[in-house]
Amino acid sequence: MRISTSTFFDSAAARLGDLQSGLATAQQQISTGRRMLTPADDPVAAARVLEVTQSQSLNTQFTSNRSNARDSLSMEENTLQSVTGLLQDVKTLVVNAGNGVVDDTQRKYLATELTSRFNELLNYANAKDSVGNYMFAGFQVGSQPFVETATGASYLGDQGQRLLQVAPARQMALNDAGDTVFEANKTGNGTFVTAAVAGNTGAGIVSTGSVVNTALLTGDNYSVTFNVAGGVTTYDVTDTTTSTTVSSGNAYTSGQSISFDGLQFDVSGVPANGDQFTVAPSGSQSIFTTLKNLIGVLNSPGTGSTANANLTNGLNTANNNVDNALDNILQTRASIGARLKELDSLDNAGADRDQQYSQTLSTLQDLDYTKAISQLTQQQTILTASQQTFVKITGLSLFNYIGG
Amino acid sequence: MAANILSVGESALAAAQVGLLTTGHNIANANTPGYSRQVVIQGSAGAQDSGFGFVGKGTSVVTVQRVYSDYLASQVTNAQTSQNELNTYYTNIQQINNLFADATSGLSPTLQNFFSSLQGAASDPASSAARQTLLSSSQTMVSQFQSMDSQLREIRDGVNSEINGSITTINGYATQIAQLNDAIEKAQGGDSSKPANDLLDQRDNIVSELSKEIKVNVVKQNDSYNVFIGNGQPLVVANNSFKLVATTSPTDLSRIEVGYQGNNGTVTLAESGLTGGKLGGLFDFRANSLEPAQNALGRVAIALGTTFNAQHELGQDQNGNLGGAFFNVATPVVNASTANTGSGVMSAAISDVNALTTSDYQVQFDGSNYTVTRLSDGAVSTSATLPLTVDGVDFDIASGSVNAGDMFLVRPTANGAANISVAITDPKKVALAAPIRSAATGTNAGSATISAGSIDSTYTAATITPAVTLTYSALTGEFTGFPATLPVTVTDTAGNVSVYPAGSPVAYSSGATINFGGVNVIVSGTPHDGDTFTVGPNTGGTGDNRNALLLGALQAANTMDGSTSNFQSAYAQLINVVGNKTRELQVTSSAQSKLLDDATQAQQSESGVNLDEEAANLIRYQQAYQAAGKVMQTADKLFDVLLSLGVQ
Repeated sequence: MRISTSTFFDSAAARLGDLQSGLATAQQQISTGRRMLTPADDPVAAARVLEVTQSQSLNTQFTSNRSNARDSLSMEENTLQSVTGLLQDVKTLVVNAGNGVVDDTQRKYLATELTSRFNELLNYANAKDSVGNYMFAGFQVGSQPFVETATGASYLGDQGQRLLQVAPARQMALNDAGDTVFEANKTGNGTFVTAAVAGNTGAGIVSTGSVVNTALLTGDNYSVTFNVAGGVTTYDVTDTTTSTTVSSGNAYTSGQSISFDGLQFDVSGVPANGDQFTVAPSGSQSIFTTLKNLIGVLNSPGTGSTANANLTNGLNTANNNVDNALDNILQTRASIGARLKELDSLDNAGADRDQQYSQTLSTLQDLDYTKAISQLTQQQTILTASQQTFVKITGLSLFNYIGG
Repeated sequence: MAANILSVGESALAAAQVGLLTTGHNIANANTPGYSRQVVIQGSAGAQDSGFGFVGKGTSVVTVQRVYSDYLASQVTNAQTSQNELNTYYTNIQQINNLFADATSGLSPTLQNFFSSLQGAASDPASSAARQTLLSSSQTMVSQFQSMDSQLREIRDGVNSEINGSITTINGYATQIAQLNDAIEKAQGGDSSKPANDLLDQRDNIVSELSKEIKVNVVKQNDSYNVFIGNGQPLVVANNSFKLVATTSPTDLSRIEVGYQGNNGTVTLAESGLTGGKLGGLFDFRANSLEPAQNALGRVAIALGTTFNAQHELGQDQNGNLGGAFFNVATPVVNASTANTGSGVMSAAISDVNALTTSDYQVQFDGSNYTVTRLSDGAVSTSATLPLTVDGVDFDIASGSVNAGDMFLVRPTANGAANISVAITDPKKVALAAPIRSAATGTNAGSATISAGSIDSTYTAATITPAVTLTYSALTGEFTGFPATLPVTVTDTAGNVSVYPAGSPVAYSSGATINFGGVNVIVSGTPHDGDTFTVGPNTGGTGDNRNALLLGALQAANTMDGSTSNFQSAYAQLINVVGNKTRELQVTSSAQSKLLDDATQAQQSESGVNLDEEAANLIRYQQAYQAAGKVMQTADKLFDVLLSLGVQ
């Protein structure tokens, strides 16, 4: 078969060109460390790399969010820890005040101490986090949530919970609203609250009471009125919501339980004629109101059995309410603790995920150096051989032998 | 007798001389493109009847002929056309491929950064630094969209200028072929026994070069080549050549197409008819890779802008106002054909980004029906009246009237990436909060809670002005207190929907979504008789990030392609398509190159000059020349013998 001279040179040059471009590509792969230089090298992997990169970026963002969440929750936990200590001190103070040895003057000292504790608590409730936002204000983080009033404090924030996306399908609350933490404390025993009416002239002391049969509870308000006639003390129980009499003429023994409609409590001491004690469903009381009430109780002077009974009743109520407030705070702290723990486990999962994504990316786009370098060497060898044979073969021509 | 020997010798010498000249010509033209080697055809000069038999009179040169095979040459031309078409497409699509090559500098990192900064703003919505970072990274992302789009536009401009160049080249070749037709006819004078070899070679070479630009059909007519292109338009007929001109598309002034200047004026040639060669490759590239790539990029921008805006408008900014548009989103490009006779102006608006495709649409009116054709696959929708919605785009006539035969080109996503911009410069105007908030009144005896609430697009501030207080009655199990003029829709946890007319009380179902006036809230738990819940404006809620969370969720939400892709995966799809096509072209163009190589080799082995062969011919004709010279010398000696007769 004939081969024309130009074919010979053209095809040899084309082959050399191909080999050189293959060598250049291999060299570029090695210097960038990437198997794919353009999407055309592996279109499916190119698209997959983009998707995995987005997932990894989301994962990193969640890690950063979790760190922010941890900061917020830790600050809240610190503040509530101080609040817990404060409330425990208040409880000690209440017990001290109930000590029979303490007199009016000393109670006034306790009231003063309590006032400064009140201010301290207000300060904690108005605490700011590391960027200057009020922690317990709900959404209104720019304005102070609690403002002191004559009867306690009023809450100017809202019930908003600030959420943050800490995992693909998990939004975590960064805060707890001030009213839930400080104001939603149940009065009484959580179901009903007993109280001595303010104008009582006797010395009856009413206990907190408990529920004996939830099925019989009505949720109504009751009034227990004492009648003292001829040295015999009896009491009547009236349902003031329905204006019906539940029972009347019950004989009274100090400390014996009074029970009706599924609930029971007791009165001890010596009530006077006409003394009333009320039972109402539990409501919510702000800790600030509790403290103000307690300060009021400690500041009211009095000697005598009635004054002492009032003091005891007041201290009992305060003690009860402070307990409930403390429970509420501890419950919130437990919730914060649970969230922090969840953040830890999400962090572990997130770190694992990140490693997995990195590995996938590496498999998709990183160069296998061993293979690449051996291919490069092979291509070098082929190119060198081609170049040398080209020169040799083109040197063969009949014209070398003609003439002379 | 002696005289005859001399003339025989002379004829041999002359023949050898022609042979040497022709061999020398071949050697000189060994590297001339398109040259076919020439051989001398010698014939006997006949014989003379000398009584006892025929005595030969020597040799004569019949003709000098080129070694040329029509079949092999046409093989090469065909392979050339296909190869150049694929090569042009491949070279051009590599430009797009390289645009997407570096993953660290493409669109994807800026998209990720944008959503990261959104999460940063969600962590601390009151911080103006976080808001400013969000605005800056949105600006960076938008710039990246614009920059990629402008690079695609540059490629488009490059295609236009290459088409221009190709047309000029084709016209030049056509003129040359016509001139050569003329010259060959004059030179050969209708007698094909004396071929004008070099002129013929030249003409064949030009036809071959022309086939690199466009597919041609050559029909021989006597000594002329008639060249036809496309669907049978004559480019060269005998001595006349016709011109191609660059025209602009009637529906897109930035698009160059090919027009044919015939005897009746300029006619635009359909691209589907102009296949093969560089021109065919350019058209194929532009229609099937470049414009879809630009549309796909635009689609991502439009989907991102539209869905983000929709959610942003449901939020509240730091000034207490409902959020406005965050991005300025591009509108579809609508072009009326310059051939339209009616005054109709077509409008197109995108109503559903989820249904958007990457195709362009053609709207035609035939007098009674409007036909919307999706140009990527030819799918047709017909309607007697407009508005008509196809693939998420609403087509309508904005003004004027449309006549039969009028045509419009609608490109919904073409400008998507070029015209996207950030509409907000003031960090306070970023709407990260929700406009409403709710509360369970502190004195409530029950344990029911109310969700923070969200709004939908029917919401107006009037719904919660004044704030709505819902009161629960244990007796009836119902809520009262809804705004007097708004009906209430309740969807319970099982999915059952109940609608209450305005002003009537609403039965309570724990966990059910309550919707009124664009506001959605959920009350769950056990309320006590008389418990109240308020829904009111979110004044002062600077720490609220509810809308920021909803905006952040858009990153991974499947909002495109019939709810199967998110923004990143739609972009990844684009890269996949480009990469695949480039890969495919790499393989097919190198396969076609191999075919071209084989065809060329076959043709060259027939017509190409081999220097060694010519060297052998040199020696042959030289020896023939020497032998012929010897014959003449012998004739001379014989004449001397004659002359010496009669001398004493």
